[in-house]
Amino acid sequence: MTIPDWVQPVAEYILREGLPNTLRLAAFAVAGSTAIGIVLGTLLTVRFWPLRAAIRLYVEVWRGLPIIVTIFLIFFALPGLVDIRLGPFSAAGIGLTLWGSAQVAEATRGAVESIPREQHEAAGALGFGWVGRHRFVILPQALRRLLPPLVSLLVNVIQNTTIASVIGVAEVLEAGNRQFERLTFTEFESHAFEIFAFVMVIFFVISFPLTRLAAYLEKRLV
Amino acid sequence: MTLAAIDWQFIWDNAPDLADGLVRTLKVSAIAIVGSLVVGAVLGAARAHRIPVASQLAAVYVEVIRNTPILVQIFFVFYGLPQVGVRFSPFTTAWLAVLIWGGAFNTENFRAGFEAVPRRYREAAAALGFGRLQTFVNVTLPIGGRIALPSSINTYISVLKNTSLLTAVGYAELTNVSRSIAAVTFRDAEMLLVVAATYLVLVWTLSAMIRVVEGRLRLPEEA
Repeated sequence: MTIPDWVQPVAEYILREGLPNTLRLAAFAVAGSTAIGIVLGTLLTVRFWPLRAAIRLYVEVWRGLPIIVTIFLIFFALPGLVDIRLGPFSAAGIGLTLWGSAQVAEATRGAVESIPREQHEAAGALGFGWVGRHRFVILPQALRRLLPPLVSLLVNVIQNTTIASVIGVAEVLEAGNRQFERLTFTEFESHAFEIFAFVMVIFFVISFPLTRLAAYLEKRLV
Repeated sequence: MTLAAIDWQFIWDNAPDLADGLVRTLKVSAIAIVGSLVVGAVLGAARAHRIPVASQLAAVYVEVIRNTPILVQIFFVFYGLPQVGVRFSPFTTAWLAVLIWGGAFNTENFRAGFEAVPRRYREAAAALGFGRLQTFVNVTLPIGGRIALPSSINTYISVLKNTSLLTAVGYAELTNVSRSIAAVTFRDAEMLLVVAATYLVLVWTLSAMIRVVEGRLRLPEEA
């Protein structure tokens, strides 16, 4: 059995053009989500209720909206509303970060609240202020519990980067899409079945070990 | 343009088209949610009771769906399957694509729920002379189903949100209709704000319902 001629350029384009973009976008969104989410999640445990309410609203809005709508809002509606124009990559990255940071904030709140009260009191007795208490005592312990949800977030973010295809970011799915369209017009045969199956395989190969890792960490750390 | 400059008349003028889109979103969601409830309960039972062959096939189905993006699954069902001769109407393709995803996640929810039913309940049922199927229908399903309820409702909310992805393959649900209107009128902000508000109302209503249902159906032991 020989490999048909159309396969090599398609696979090469998806892996050389698409995959790096997918990984860049995922790295951007995971870094942003983790940093913003941990800060917001910790602040969700403060006593000052107006701040809590504001963060709660942020979390509920970006968790409640479909990511595709968030990305559309940033890419298509922001220029008209506040005259901010972003490229497709930034718009998709920010959209994914808004969603991801809401997820991380919720997980962080749970992790911080699971740390016994005595830890707060002991740190306070040692003279730590609110920031020092959380920075040196509470968060290092909460981070252990946060690790499994963070790995799950990584899997979800990688999968959701495909949504960036709707505004033309050339990630793996969009790369596959372009090849599918090219073949449809030039060779009158779409090969959609093979192309999208290949795209699924790529994501499976990346995600499967990570979901296993998340399940393992869940068992080990909690 | 600022928020104050939103053209409400424009939104009102396009309300009938948006309503058509919303109805399609709700129809597709309803079928996919009921479907994923059935798929989840049946395959979840097969997994929890380790029924040979069915359990392994269900495991493969769950892992494939959970480890691949739903948007790629949608493209595969819309463009890949017709190439090998599997063709449905756009409506069927639409609900099928989101049902396949929801069914896989719900299988996991129900498997966990059924496995959390204490063994002694099933032993008690056996002692009362119940067969395996009777035990499942009368003991494991009602108790395990209630344990699985919160996580499965979260899956249903995700199914509803996922229908918005059908816009990428041109299915005229709510998001897609709003984009089509914006494409000819350039009123992107108005259209997207209406759509965003609609999704938030739907999702927040469903989440509020979860809390009510959860309170009602909570197992006596946990109270």
